[in-house]
Amino acid sequence: MVFAAIYILDFSVQAAIRVEPSLRDSAVALVDGVPPQVKVVAANGRAFQAGTELGMARNVADQFESVQIRPRSHLHEKAAHAALLDFGWSISPRIEDTAPDTIVIDLAGLSSLFGSQENIARRLLQQIVALGLTAHIAIASNIDAAIHAARGFSGITLIPSGEESKHLGSLPVGVLRPSPETLDTLELWGVRTCEALAALPVLQLSERLGQEGVRLHEWAQGAGARSLVLADPATCFEEGIVLEDSVEELEPLSFLLGRLLDQLCMRLTARSLAISIIRLRFSLDPSGREDVQRRGNSNISARLKKKSSVFETAISLPVPIRDSKLLLKLLRLKLQSDPPQAPIQKIFVAAEPAKPRALQADLFLPSSPHAEKVELIIARLANLVGDSNIGSPHLLDTHHPDAFCMDHFTPAGAEPKAPQRKKPLKSNRPYWGVKPEIEKPALGFRMFRPSLPASVHLQEGLPKSVLIRGTHGKVIGASGPWRTSGDWWREDNWHQDEWDLEIRFQLPSDPLEIHSASRPQHGLYRFHFDSLQRKWFVRGIYD
Amino acid sequence: MYIELHARSAFSFLEGASLPEELAALCKELGMPSMAVLDRDGFYGSPRFHLAAQKEGIRAHIGAEVTSESGWRYPLLVTSRGGYQNLCRLITRMKLRAPKGEGAVTPAEVTEHATGLICLTGGDEGPLAHALANGGVECATECIRGLCESFGAENVYIELQRHLCREEEARNQAAIEIARKMHLPLLATNGVCQAQPRQRELLDVFTCIRHHRTLSTAGRLLARNSERHLKSPQEMLRLFSDLPEAIANTKGLASRLKFELSDLGYKFPNYPVPDGKPQIHFLRERTFEGMIGRYGTDNEDARAQIDRELALIEKLELAGYFLIVWDIVQFCKQRNILVQGRGSAANSAVCYALGITAVDPIKMKLLFERFLSENRGEWPDIDLDLPSGDQRERAIQYVYERYGKLGAAMTANVITYRGRSAAREIGKVLSFEPEMLDRLSSLVGGWEFKNEHDTLPQYFQDAGLDLNHQLIRKFLQLCTAVQDLPRHLGQHSGGMVVCQGHLDSVVPLEPAAIPGRVVVQWDKEDCAGMGIVKVDLLGLGMMAVLEESIQLIRNDYQEEVDLAHLPPDDKTVYAALQKADTVGMFQIESRAQMSCLPRLQPKCFYDIVVQVAIIRPGPIVGEMVNPYLKRRQKREAVDCLHPDLEPVLGRTLGIPLFQEQLLRMAMITAGFSGGDAEELRRALGFKRSERRMKEIETKLRLGMEKKGITPGVQEKIIRSITSFALYGFPESHAASFALLAYASAYLKCHYLAAFTAAMLNNQPMGFYNAATLVKDAQRHGLRVRPIDITCSEWLCTLEKAEKEPGGFFLRLGLRYVKGLREEVGKQIAIERAAKPFASIEDLKLRVPRLHKSEMAALAAIGALNFITGRRGMHRREALWQIERTARRPGPLLELSQGGEMSRPQDHSTIGSTQSSAVSPLAPMTTEERLVADFHGTGMTVGPHPMAFRRVEMRQKGIRCAGELGTIPDGSPVRIAGSVIARQRPGTAKGFVFLSMEDETGIANAIITPQLFEQNRATIIHNQFLLVEGILQNLDNVISVKAKSIAPLLITRAETASHDFH
Repeated sequence: MVFAAIYILDFSVQAAIRVEPSLRDSAVALVDGVPPQVKVVAANGRAFQAGTELGMARNVADQFESVQIRPRSHLHEKAAHAALLDFGWSISPRIEDTAPDTIVIDLAGLSSLFGSQENIARRLLQQIVALGLTAHIAIASNIDAAIHAARGFSGITLIPSGEESKHLGSLPVGVLRPSPETLDTLELWGVRTCEALAALPVLQLSERLGQEGVRLHEWAQGAGARSLVLADPATCFEEGIVLEDSVEELEPLSFLLGRLLDQLCMRLTARSLAISIIRLRFSLDPSGREDVQRRGNSNISARLKKKSSVFETAISLPVPIRDSKLLLKLLRLKLQSDPPQAPIQKIFVAAEPAKPRALQADLFLPSSPHAEKVELIIARLANLVGDSNIGSPHLLDTHHPDAFCMDHFTPAGAEPKAPQRKKPLKSNRPYWGVKPEIEKPALGFRMFRPSLPASVHLQEGLPKSVLIRGTHGKVIGASGPWRTSGDWWREDNWHQDEWDLEIRFQLPSDPLEIHSASRPQHGLYRFHFDSLQRKWFVRGIYD
Repeated sequence: MYIELHARSAFSFLEGASLPEELAALCKELGMPSMAVLDRDGFYGSPRFHLAAQKEGIRAHIGAEVTSESGWRYPLLVTSRGGYQNLCRLITRMKLRAPKGEGAVTPAEVTEHATGLICLTGGDEGPLAHALANGGVECATECIRGLCESFGAENVYIELQRHLCREEEARNQAAIEIARKMHLPLLATNGVCQAQPRQRELLDVFTCIRHHRTLSTAGRLLARNSERHLKSPQEMLRLFSDLPEAIANTKGLASRLKFELSDLGYKFPNYPVPDGKPQIHFLRERTFEGMIGRYGTDNEDARAQIDRELALIEKLELAGYFLIVWDIVQFCKQRNILVQGRGSAANSAVCYALGITAVDPIKMKLLFERFLSENRGEWPDIDLDLPSGDQRERAIQYVYERYGKLGAAMTANVITYRGRSAAREIGKVLSFEPEMLDRLSSLVGGWEFKNEHDTLPQYFQDAGLDLNHQLIRKFLQLCTAVQDLPRHLGQHSGGMVVCQGHLDSVVPLEPAAIPGRVVVQWDKEDCAGMGIVKVDLLGLGMMAVLEESIQLIRNDYQEEVDLAHLPPDDKTVYAALQKADTVGMFQIESRAQMSCLPRLQPKCFYDIVVQVAIIRPGPIVGEMVNPYLKRRQKREAVDCLHPDLEPVLGRTLGIPLFQEQLLRMAMITAGFSGGDAEELRRALGFKRSERRMKEIETKLRLGMEKKGITPGVQEKIIRSITSFALYGFPESHAASFALLAYASAYLKCHYLAAFTAAMLNNQPMGFYNAATLVKDAQRHGLRVRPIDITCSEWLCTLEKAEKEPGGFFLRLGLRYVKGLREEVGKQIAIERAAKPFASIEDLKLRVPRLHKSEMAALAAIGALNFITGRRGMHRREALWQIERTARRPGPLLELSQGGEMSRPQDHSTIGSTQSSAVSPLAPMTTEERLVADFHGTGMTVGPHPMAFRRVEMRQKGIRCAGELGTIPDGSPVRIAGSVIARQRPGTAKGFVFLSMEDETGIANAIITPQLFEQNRATIIHNQFLLVEGILQNLDNVISVKAKSIAPLLITRAETASHDFH
């Protein structure tokens, strides 16, 4: 048995370079964190040489002009890992997913195709380079020896059977990846190389370091034999396509998407699975972005990050689906409402699998539309009104008047375990409550969204008259100001004075067109003065 | 007229955003004649508010918000002293039965203590709001009826607050309805939490800290708006224009609040005199007994001085105070606890005669008025220095036992937000990541000197923070605004107050973190401000060292050393001082002291007093050090500025070095009274202010004008006094410290082993770390032996060595093994005393609590090398063995392995088994041992790391510290060593001082601000440095003025330095 271990050096950085191959010969540092605390989390050798250090703040790292700074992307790393596994599976069905940066391939039978081990290794290396990754490859008859040699030696390493110990001897014990505690112990012992570790008597070592000691000793000697731990087939299904010519129009894109979705659904069907989340990722052509913008293709704001050359979107489905046509419709609607702003170079469609729904309709419940249909309707509506304007409203825990957000609308019963939003914080200030017997009839309140601009004339600090949409009104009664302010630590802080005003309009028609002609033209309104904008608005009307 | 009667200060701890002084000043500015501060569950801010109000010429009403069992708070105002005492007792009762920071009162307790109190119905957190929220108007009416029953209907006011909030106004309308129905008066307040509207931001931050939230997750816990600030009467009139009686009632209620804190009713306890004699008689007897011991029977000067002092003590009725302090000192002496009074008490011959102090004020010609003055109207202040640790605790517990739990308490220590804590907490509130917080808090603070680049914005820039970001800007603003605001109440290290009767009627008491202790709600400044006498029982590391040294000398040298009778003119001691060979000596060991000693050349005790006092910010900034030294060396003529000043300045050669001299100068030249001089002293004290200094300067000039002093001399005198604006020592204090300095020097010179052991056993203390102390002792000929499990105790000990010059080795104690827990270390010593350990296995069996990591720490530093006998093993053999011991198989497996371990209880066989197990590991190299020593103990008893590289150093032209004295002044030199101290004192204008140690001693390098800026990272981050520069030898004070600095790789060992800020 012969195995090849493939190890990707600086995996995070390479994952980023894989998405952006132009960086291959550059000094690259990856940053992560929430602004303003973004810092360097990984870098390649060139970046270290240029002076970058791990933990360095983003704006400090920016000072090294030769270093390209990119945000760390777990998606890229996942994709790179998936690509590595895909590569493995393209070689042999027997592969081991050892670590995100390491896989082992069983080379049995390959010699008849590719010749000597060295040839196989070269070929593997070439193919990996074609994938956009740089790897170290070690071939040995011992799986672990191959792994450790790949981590310790650059390029290609061939270890003849029986010479593992000799080859591994000079490597630091760190390549064996012992537990931190054991590494400390070995350091205290002065055991720093595999050779030194291999020289220790194994029985005594086992008495001291237990099974881990025996295992490390075995690895250091290049001894021991274990079977390959075969990688489970993928649990996240992804299909991708790299386009020769960038796609700019929705129709050809739909065609390609349909093909990918068909493939995905077929794979899922074979494993009796369906899709719970469908993710779409496009690699964009940054040079084409300006053209697209110039042509004014986008009339709905896209959430494309300015510096990003990747477009991502996802649809979370209320029930697992594997109807490729339905999925295509949903994706089309999504892309219509939120299109990428540059030509597309690569398309990735990933599906998160789930067990398909096996549900029988309840005889005693009124019939309701299928969840799939509801989802389609919501997607259509979202396409019309925008994502942020559809769903279930949810009040936010803030003093800001009318602060709410839209949650995804989920029909009752469609999602038995819908994620529960945390209950709003209970204020430490007791809310004044009264017993029902003295409670006055509640007033209804209709809110204008957005608030209507108005002008208010004040006399001695009290509103006397108002002007709304060119119509004057006289203030008959006023209550206020009711003052709220907040978010003072943010750029979008706010400060408002609300007034409840009883107004009699001077014209026969209600400028807000709320009251019918038969009703008296006066009413109780809520106004607010935005102290930062220095403007008055009508927030709503009491019924 | 409106008077604010419900305000919280920042002493409501995280529920108020303004200091009492700020509130008082604004109250005055807004034209209110008085105001009430009601802090949460205490009178924490009341003294400061009272004193600030006095200063502003307004009245401070006293009150508190007291938490009820149901969670709401009674806002209570005090009308009389009885009411104040009731509220104090109520709060004390509630606090003492609950964990720190918690507690609540029951309605029955409130009724019991209601006399003299007025209850308001409160705002959001008051009883009315709570009742309305829980049961509506009916329930609220019931609640108010209950309050009327407890306090009396005439003492309940229906409180209305208007913060422009709908819900609150609805509550107000309900309250008005209830008030009308029950015929109760309405009272407008603003429920103030901050002086200015902008401080709402700080209040929101405090809310987040209190609730462990961030600003973005706190939601409606934050304030709705900024209306809870102190508003002007006009503004309040406008707000309550529909309810003028609510405003008018504030004046009426304020006129009922007669009590002020100046009417505290505090009385110092009487000392229980035997036979019922008057206290002063008993004090006189004790003083004269002591006087005979101190001065003999025929010292007329002493007799006259003591008579004078006793007459004043009698007049001021302070005999009880002196007797109580004497009683504490007696207790300590009976139990062999070293005790010494310091501070201004050392000015008193009575204190000297009573044995409270050890400095003879008559011989030293110290000013008694500095201690006690009839005019000053202030209690005397006696500080007692005790050995830090258990001994001091014994003295404190004695005071508790003697005066009862409610008769004595520690003073509080208000913990305020300072640079690092502020940055950390505010950063958290703004959702900064932990790593960023660490980075920020390590940056903020920094070294003492601040140049134009050492600003907070600069720190943030260095930390990689974008100053244009809104969050960062807010962070900066908040960090600045929060400085010095109280965070929580701690306990003062030694200040105790005692009281005649019940202390809980004077100030509320709280449980302290240390079991068995109670603490008052005021800090020592507040206690002093309120006229409460305190006794400071301070822990002093050097007292503990002296006490332990004496004990070691008694036990090992079989000699008795009496600190009170040390030879006064020991030549060895003065020779050491003159050479600045003072590492480890109290107060005279710092680099600055060392650079002064060879020039001052101390020859007598008074020279040490001067030496202690001269290296202080006052004399240094006042540029008095060099003139004094020049005059001492007769390079400059003595000039006392004015003939009248000769008696005052004569003995310090015309240079004022002590506070007393400044006071006397002012009294003589400007005709200052005792009170004026006291004001001058305060102006020179810690809380100095420019404005006060200017006022005093004007007064001085006027006084000198009247005395006909010429403008030139006036200028010199003014400069002498004002340049002392930074803190300087009083002479009596310097003398007390000088005594300890002399004692420490004497012990070091004559009992080096005992003194070094005691120093090492009381670390951390002093200027140098343990590694430097050990190296210094070794250079003085002491043999220091490494930690060895077969003979080391928990503490460092002495071992007899007949052939050694000093007669003793010093054996390092197990306390220096990093990571070894004290209880385990002590258990090792106990087990070994019963029977020596036969092996590592035996050690583990007999000390089962010993963790593997602790055994590894012991093995790595070589402490287990001789566990199996004198033949010994190397460190890695021990490390090899402990890994096995830590993973011993069960007894069954042991039996199956051939019965070798079949009798684990037979410890002797275990040793032989283990010792036969041969380690395959190579011994540690010298470098590895050095690394292990520093990593495991922070020091090495072997050669200094520099010694291993000396040949190489010589080849590079690097000179060692010991030979610098032989090199002519002005020569270019290269020095190298491990940095043991980096200093950037505030008085040195940005210069940085490095102390670098090698195997021959300590060399000093001076770095200019420019060079420091160029090499900041090199200087701060490297353990070993190579400094090239010009040697300066000024009167045997040797230093190298650096021209270039480079890092040096000597060892990977983690040597440490003391960096001073």
